[in-house]
Amino acid sequence: MTAPFLVARNIAKRFGALTALVDVDLEIRPGEVLALLGDNGAGKSTFIKILAGAHPPSDGELLIEGNAVAFASPKDAAASGIATIFQELALSENLSIAENVFLGRELKRSIFGIPFLKRAEMRQRVDGLLQELDAHISDPEAPVGSLSGGQRQAVAICRALNLNAKLVIMDEPTAALAVAETRKVLALTRRLAGRGCAVVLISHNISEVFEVADRIVVFRRGRKVAERLAAETNHEEVVSLITGAHPDVRALEKTN
Amino acid sequence: MNVVRQSGTGVFSMNGREWSLLVACLLAIVIFSVASPHYATPGNAVTVLRNSVELLLIGLGMTLLLAMGGIDVSIGIVMGLAAIAIGRILGADGSPFVALVAGPLVGALLGCVTAAVVVLGRVPAIVGTLGLLGVYRTAVFVLLGGQWLSGLPSSLTDLLAATVLGIPVPALVIAVAYLIVWLALRRTPYGLHLLAIGNSEEKARLSGIPVIKVRFLTFVISGVLTGIAATFYVATYRNVEMSIGSTSALDAIAAVILGGTSILGGRCSLLGTVLGVLLLRILQNGLLLIGVPSLWQPVVTGVLIIGVLGFEAVSNRLPLTRFQRARA
Repeated sequence: MTAPFLVARNIAKRFGALTALVDVDLEIRPGEVLALLGDNGAGKSTFIKILAGAHPPSDGELLIEGNAVAFASPKDAAASGIATIFQELALSENLSIAENVFLGRELKRSIFGIPFLKRAEMRQRVDGLLQELDAHISDPEAPVGSLSGGQRQAVAICRALNLNAKLVIMDEPTAALAVAETRKVLALTRRLAGRGCAVVLISHNISEVFEVADRIVVFRRGRKVAERLAAETNHEEVVSLITGAHPDVRALEKTN
Repeated sequence: MNVVRQSGTGVFSMNGREWSLLVACLLAIVIFSVASPHYATPGNAVTVLRNSVELLLIGLGMTLLLAMGGIDVSIGIVMGLAAIAIGRILGADGSPFVALVAGPLVGALLGCVTAAVVVLGRVPAIVGTLGLLGVYRTAVFVLLGGQWLSGLPSSLTDLLAATVLGIPVPALVIAVAYLIVWLALRRTPYGLHLLAIGNSEEKARLSGIPVIKVRFLTFVISGVLTGIAATFYVATYRNVEMSIGSTSALDAIAAVILGGTSILGGRCSLLGTVLGVLLLRILQNGLLLIGVPSLWQPVVTGVLIIGVLGFEAVSNRLPLTRFQRARA
């Protein structure tokens, strides 16, 4: 087994009186698609926001390749190789595809100390990435606001690849997509793992999860209640883990 | 599709809105020429251009602010305070070169104050700058001691009335300011970050953009441009009146919106702002010459703002729907 890229230990998050996460331990490995499942409010989104540097944890620690890290901002997380593709896609609809792919990490040349964008080079890199992903986007200069949901996912994935992300977190990437586009995004997800990326996938669609995930982790009421290899579990067991009907979960919730 | 492009356009490439504004300017000139015998004279053309100088500079900064989803309704009084500083230096027979530096410097400092309130203090821009407007208005009154600062020496005026290779200094300064702001907006990471913040501050933050730095800097840039505007104001009028800048914010916002910059942020046009300023000044000057009292000028400006925004709301020309329409 490869060494984990990221280890989370005893992660907790409180928002005032509200406890969103308690004692979460998790390992994320390169080349593996890890699915996070759970009902609404189970803590999945809070957990990935901590990984993404958008929220600091209230307790616990994160280790990346064995070293403890503390993210003050998404920029810190990105610098450590973590890219997050949020459900609401943090893309700027008014900017072009190339501009979005490089946003916050633009290629620039300094003229008299002023940073100027290397527009042609960024455009070229994005053309290459789009081709590699087989994304079928005819016009890379088009504003992202004019793209379909699947195309926007492809842009977000391009962005992650371009940042040389070692861990890509995808929050419900297929939630708003048509069937054909969903297939494409799932294929992209596998391709990312194939390139040696660690992928964390949040989804409500269990069949989809079984299609792409190597490992499944279930959250419930702010706790991690189960972790299974996708090959060693099945649809029914996962559902019972999510709803709390599974005996393991009942036992766990009784002791707490 | 060209209409929806943010960048990739040249310094002067025009979209539909900008052509309409140019046509509107020409149309207004033709109508006023027919209506008033005093209108179509070289002297009046110079007057209109002269009257546009301060608003062009303030308008460039306001374009950046609105594109970022910000606004500054105190900008006219910021010009007033900078003008008082310049006036005091000239009044004390200070060097005009010192006065030249004072405008942008005071503008930058006041830009820092605005940014401290709006960006660091997280007060919404419209409310924060409205509060500053109240404070600054009284500051102008106190600093002027209730009377005009007048009879200033002509040293600064002589300096800025010069021409370089036949081009008047104000035109040169505006051209350089336009070019610098255009380059910053369309050719540097700063411009992309500004537009991304205007689209959604939260998304910009998640993209790793230094949101606070970009917003702070933009208020300072607007302050500097306003300070330069104050320099031209004092050089031209050689006095500072109590009501200085009282319509500048209204005029600037009107011109910028006319030019096609979105009041919601994320989309802007510098060339549109220039044409918007010219249209506004042509209308104000023309109406005055056909006998409409200047009291009515803010009414015209206000109606233009309401008209443009109303038209945009009705025809659903807000950014996203525009993109969708362009695809359809």
